[in-house]
Amino acid sequence: MLVTAGILIMGYAVAGAAADPDVAPAGVLSFLAGVLLVHDLVWMPAVLAVGAVITRLVAPRRRPVVIAATISAAAVTVVALPLVLGFGRPADNPSALPSPYGWNLALVLLAVVAVAALARWRGPAGRKNSERPGGEVPGAGGE
Amino acid sequence: MVRHVDTPLNRWWRAPVPAPPETLRRGPFRPGRFGSALRSVRLTSLLGIALGVAFGVCFVTGLISHLVQHPPGWFWWPSRPAGLYRFNQGVHVATGLATVPLLGAKLWSVYPRLFAWPPVRSIAHAAERASVGVLVAAALFQLVSGVLNVSRWYAPMRFYFPAAHYWVAWLVVGAMLVHIGVQLPVVRTALARHVPVPEREGLSRRGLLGAVGAAAGLITLTTVGQTVRPLSRLAVLAPRLPHVGPQGLPVNATATGAGVAGLVRDPSYRLVVTGPRGQVGLDLAALAALPQHTAELPIACVEGWSASGRWTGVRLRDLVALVETDPDRATVLVESLQTGGRYRSATVPPEHIRDPLTLVALRLGGEPLHPDHGYPARLIAPNRPGVLQTKWIGRITVQGAR
Repeated sequence: MLVTAGILIMGYAVAGAAADPDVAPAGVLSFLAGVLLVHDLVWMPAVLAVGAVITRLVAPRRRPVVIAATISAAAVTVVALPLVLGFGRPADNPSALPSPYGWNLALVLLAVVAVAALARWRGPAGRKNSERPGGEVPGAGGE
Repeated sequence: MVRHVDTPLNRWWRAPVPAPPETLRRGPFRPGRFGSALRSVRLTSLLGIALGVAFGVCFVTGLISHLVQHPPGWFWWPSRPAGLYRFNQGVHVATGLATVPLLGAKLWSVYPRLFAWPPVRSIAHAAERASVGVLVAAALFQLVSGVLNVSRWYAPMRFYFPAAHYWVAWLVVGAMLVHIGVQLPVVRTALARHVPVPEREGLSRRGLLGAVGAAAGLITLTTVGQTVRPLSRLAVLAPRLPHVGPQGLPVNATATGAGVAGLVRDPSYRLVVTGPRGQVGLDLAALAALPQHTAELPIACVEGWSASGRWTGVRLRDLVALVETDPDRATVLVESLQTGGRYRSATVPPEHIRDPLTLVALRLGGEPLHPDHGYPARLIAPNRPGVLQTKWIGRITVQGAR
């Protein structure tokens, strides 16, 4: 049932995109392939490499906090990177991308490091504490 | 669920295909290449459910936004609550951004399966792997293109973003349903029996889920202030700030960018209103002489930011009444002074014309509109996306009762 519905919807997506004059199929297909290849061949090996470095350099009891902080830092950097690079900032519109994103990202990353250091300093008071390494980050567990 | 019926087609579909020679099993294909004991079917299932919910929210809110902008005949969109579109689009973009670490963790948890051996066991297995490939590519497409779009970095996207984002959303939903259909029994089994986590060093499963939640929370906290004004001071990574822009309000299209910077200053400007009962041309003095009304309404951008302003001007209904005997049932085409561009005109349906908050605004915060906010006159209506709040209005055509 679900599989059949899914295949029909995928067919609708392809047919709809093909019939929509606003869709540039070559551009869309190359972007689909591009994000897949970059993720699987560049991003994920890099993530695994960082994980291997953490495993090698960080003592096991401190690892949870370091990994949690790395996850937050990586996620926030991915979202902020286009803003930091600022290629989308229009010359005639100062209300678009108004903030100093490089500095702000550095501040956020510093805050992540500070929270991680605080958690490390407080811990590891038993397993309970190390199980929730992100607990000190504002908004943790939400969304 | 996939039913197994013994037909020749099904036998062909599930017949084993020969495995490639073992000598090709190198690099990541080698057994035991991926070490983390944290990966488990249970972890992947939990992340998958969360991801399904997140993409579901994005799909529904995105579909609503699409329908509002391109309404088919059966679709009806009310003028109240005034902030409904703002809420819808805020949720869409905030959920999409918060999904970034979730998708990252989910793909990390299944990455070793990319190097499963043998790569293809049967035609059915190949088809399933292909559909997962489509799902991963489409999910990455949606998040990456969404992030690029809110940061206005269009160069890497050699396509028209709204159309591509819309159709690939359907692709995600279709591929996700196929994936759920195939994996549901696995997920059920994984979640039904509670396997105690073996005591070991490093990050626990709960720890990883907490870390992903914390990352999502951090992204939300540093961006959602672009639409939730009380949090705007924390919005250090938001593409917009609700108080930054001409007259304290952000703009998307500027007068210069739209090519109307000279036109709007033309002293011979007339707002031309045409309808069944004739045509009137109103200059700024004539517009100012009509009854003026003030409304507190948001500009709610499809890109997820929003900001409220105090707009003053003439009710659209009053202008329609000048040229139409039945203004409550009329539909209106509002056209900008722009000579081109996708959003140079917009249709206003009867429910918005009837709404007393729908204005042809002349002032913002008591001052004449800044050119970038649509001077000399712009449309501002409740519960409408910003791209449909036509700026630099030159012509209003009343199309009569629907």
